[in-house]
Amino acid sequence: MSYAYLFKYIIIGDTGVGKSCLLLQFTDKRFQPVHDLTIGVEFGARMITIDNKPIKLQIWDTAGQESFRSITRSYYRGAAGALLVYDITRRETFNHLASWLEDARQHANANMTIMLIGNKCDLAHRRAVSTEEGEQFAKEHGLIFMEASAKTAQNVEEAFIKTAATIYKKIQDGVFDVSNESYGIKVGYGGIPGPSGGRDGPSASAGTCCS
Amino acid sequence: MSQTSRSLFLFCSFPRNTDFPSPRRHLPLPLSLRFQFSAKPPMLESELHDLSDDADYAASLQQGSAGVMLRSDSTKQRSPSSDRDGAEIVFLKDNVAIHPTQFASERISGRLKLIKQSSALFMTWIPYKGHSSDARLSDKDRNLYTIKAVPFTDIRSIRRHNPALGWQYIIVVLSSGLAYPPLYFYSGGVKEFLATIKQHVLLVRSAEDANVFLVNDFQNTLQRTLSSLELPRAVPLACGPSNMSGGESILNENQERVDNGVDNGSLSVSQSHGRPRHKAQDPGRDLSIQVLEKFSLVTRFARETTSQIFGENQSNGFSTNERRTPIQTNLDHPKKSSDIVENIPDESPVVLDSQEFERLSLVWGKPRQSPLCSEEWLTFLDSEGRVIDSEALRKRVFYGGLDHELRNEVWGLLLGYYSYESTYAEREFLKSVKKSEYENIKNQWKSISSAQAKRFTKFRERKGLIEKDVVRTDRSLTFYEGDDNPNVTVLRDILLTYSFYNFDLGYCQGMSDLLSPILFVMDDESEAFWCFVALMERLGPNFNRDQNGMHSQLFALSKLVELLDSPLHNYFKQHDCLNYFFCFRWILIQFKREFEFERTMRLWEVLWTHYPSEHLHLYVCVAILKRYRGKIIGEEMDFDTLLKFINELSGHIDLDATLRDAEALCICAGENGAARIPPGTPPSLPVDDGSFYAQQDEIL
Ligand SMILES: Nc1nc2c(ncn2[C@@H]2O[C@H](COP(=O)(O)OP(=O)(O)OP(=O)(O)O)[C@@H](O)[C@H]2O)c(=O)[nH]1
Ligand SMILES: [Mg+2]
Repeated sequence: MSYAYLFKYIIIGDTGVGKSCLLLQFTDKRFQPVHDLTIGVEFGARMITIDNKPIKLQIWDTAGQESFRSITRSYYRGAAGALLVYDITRRETFNHLASWLEDARQHANANMTIMLIGNKCDLAHRRAVSTEEGEQFAKEHGLIFMEASAKTAQNVEEAFIKTAATIYKKIQDGVFDVSNESYGIKVGYGGIPGPSGGRDGPSASAGTCCS
Repeated sequence: MSQTSRSLFLFCSFPRNTDFPSPRRHLPLPLSLRFQFSAKPPMLESELHDLSDDADYAASLQQGSAGVMLRSDSTKQRSPSSDRDGAEIVFLKDNVAIHPTQFASERISGRLKLIKQSSALFMTWIPYKGHSSDARLSDKDRNLYTIKAVPFTDIRSIRRHNPALGWQYIIVVLSSGLAYPPLYFYSGGVKEFLATIKQHVLLVRSAEDANVFLVNDFQNTLQRTLSSLELPRAVPLACGPSNMSGGESILNENQERVDNGVDNGSLSVSQSHGRPRHKAQDPGRDLSIQVLEKFSLVTRFARETTSQIFGENQSNGFSTNERRTPIQTNLDHPKKSSDIVENIPDESPVVLDSQEFERLSLVWGKPRQSPLCSEEWLTFLDSEGRVIDSEALRKRVFYGGLDHELRNEVWGLLLGYYSYESTYAEREFLKSVKKSEYENIKNQWKSISSAQAKRFTKFRERKGLIEKDVVRTDRSLTFYEGDDNPNVTVLRDILLTYSFYNFDLGYCQGMSDLLSPILFVMDDESEAFWCFVALMERLGPNFNRDQNGMHSQLFALSKLVELLDSPLHNYFKQHDCLNYFFCFRWILIQFKREFEFERTMRLWEVLWTHYPSEHLHLYVCVAILKRYRGKIIGEEMDFDTLLKFINELSGHIDLDATLRDAEALCICAGENGAARIPPGTPPSLPVDDGSFYAQQDEIL
């Protein structure tokens, strides 16, 4: 299927926070509690539409375990978006956010759009991290924030699409040289082809994005 | 007869050590030491069954059984006749034979055909049945060699040989770099064969070698270069301008190799004396370009065996030259048999009889065997249950694996939990001793009270992590499925107990994947634990926190690829893929996620034999990469694409074919390969300094 843009996403965060479940919910619209833990990385993809343009998300679901980090870091290269996930029922997964962020900042490109997700919000009765804390952290670090549930699908669609919309807006604003694939963006049919396209190209007038 | 049961095999000339019936001992060289590759291009099976020609096959069987194999030459090129399903036979040649061994009695004659269907051209070669008087080869053997409708899109090149003595033959090299055994045209017709192909597909003569015809040669320079690298006489790109051609250089090269081989008695390509064009090269290059891509593989086994035979046959009257030349030809440069044949008279005026010629021809071996069954297993044991010859057992398991019901008994031996010398009774005894030992270790954590746990963060964390992971391990298998499955609890208990048994290493993700099949097979908590312990003796370093065990294997892998496929190595280098992270999962959990459960168990028992090498798993990696090298390079995959591609191979890898390739690669790399793997690289046993798993907290 043809796309105007392809965005590479990575999903990062501690083991067991629900990264793979979020991906599966987004790509397959189902929750499967008994899939295998992730070793290395797994992939998913889905088409979405932003500003009437078909956009393909290629999503890298990484392994959360600490000792795999030296390897998972190599996957950050060239990601346009990142979903940084913690589990609202496990405080330590929230406490580790800073170190994940540091990794991302160090190994991903500077313009990567990061969405912070407090997952498992269906388990409100076991909540260990308040929504406000999540919001606060996001604000401090310049991230977009949402609480979501891979189980109920709440905000899952929104999280992925909002991230894409933000990236799309950055393209429109000319933040990226989209011809340089290290930004995690590939231009397909109907996308803005060149570095100056964002500002001067014909698509600029179509400007507004769906967010 | 079932079409699917006759699989397409692809052969390489890997002499190997098979047990020899004594009547053959008079022969100077055990050249049926053998070996073989099989590759089933994935599309073949699904799409092309209909191309096989059953009726024709049956007819040829009948014909053959009458003991008459000679057909008149008039069948040489029949007028195109219409087959079924729109398939058209555009070329048909009888009395085209392969020579699986040097024994004339084991030649297999058959019928070669070119078939056109739609716009695609296919080649088939179907053996006749029972033409040889003493019929050493069973029909099964014979069928192994059947070439079933290989599409020309899978063929890279065809090499023509016109020896001065003997028959014309061709070697068909596939895109994978592997090749079919030479097809000898007893009644001529190579020219017509090539001419017919030319009418249907793009066939160009190689610039480097007039006897090589490139099929579907790409204009793309990279592809072109790579194809040419696969050709016997091609000079590696980076090797400078001295593009030698013609028989002379080949002869010289052969001479050198003969010398090397005989003088050193080992695989010594790396010691080739400074041939100018390779002087500045990594010695491994030679092996890669000269040998592997030509499918004519040097084998350590063969060297060893041949030197043994030399020793044994010192006084049997064969001259040195005679002995040397066949080794040379057969082991190093089978494709160049013709050159050797032509040159032999200069060196030794011995009459080149047909048997001599046969000895010069390629040899191939048997495919992977059926799994070891209970009945046969008993033959490996003495009356008290000791394994009589562990080497033989390991070899047998290596070639065929185990019937599932035997795994429970044999895995413990393969893993080194039970010793091969132990009797039934000793094993029973050990089992009970180990059971109570296990219970003791298990009690160390079982007895931790909740109050104690509160003050024992490391324990709580480990337990939490393990509990999170066992519910995400093989839950789709009946054995582990469903809520509150007791086996999931056992999985947890074993892992937690292990993390106390080996507290320094602790628990790391991936361990549950390694334990799951073991528990499934042993179906006993303590037994599974101790087998897991034995496995972790070797694979523990995969889980070191600093990943050094993984890095050393990935490093060794890169060295092996450099040795065995330098164009691919260069490709990875150019594309910044030399960290081989895309093979991380393969190595960490021994391909557990790449094959379905049953296949994984098969692979593991094969790997655990450590039969041709402790590091066979690395050769498995190379074999898989080689299998897909055309695609990787052709599609110019970058790191991301490659990683995704490799991930998605999961479930699509042909295990048997891969194992055959891996074995071949391993043997052919021989000591050169072993030298590329640093000592202590898992699963070699670690140097025991008592602190192998010492926690390296600063890395955390
Ligand atoms: N209740 C609830 N459970 C969830 C949710 N998302 C995930 N889970 C559960 O959390 C467990 C871990 O989820 P995964 O998606 O495997 O976690 P992960 O982040 O991919 O973990 P790693 O692959 O180890 O890095 C699973 O067993 C799920 O059942 C959610 O939104 N709600
Ligand atoms: Mg996961």
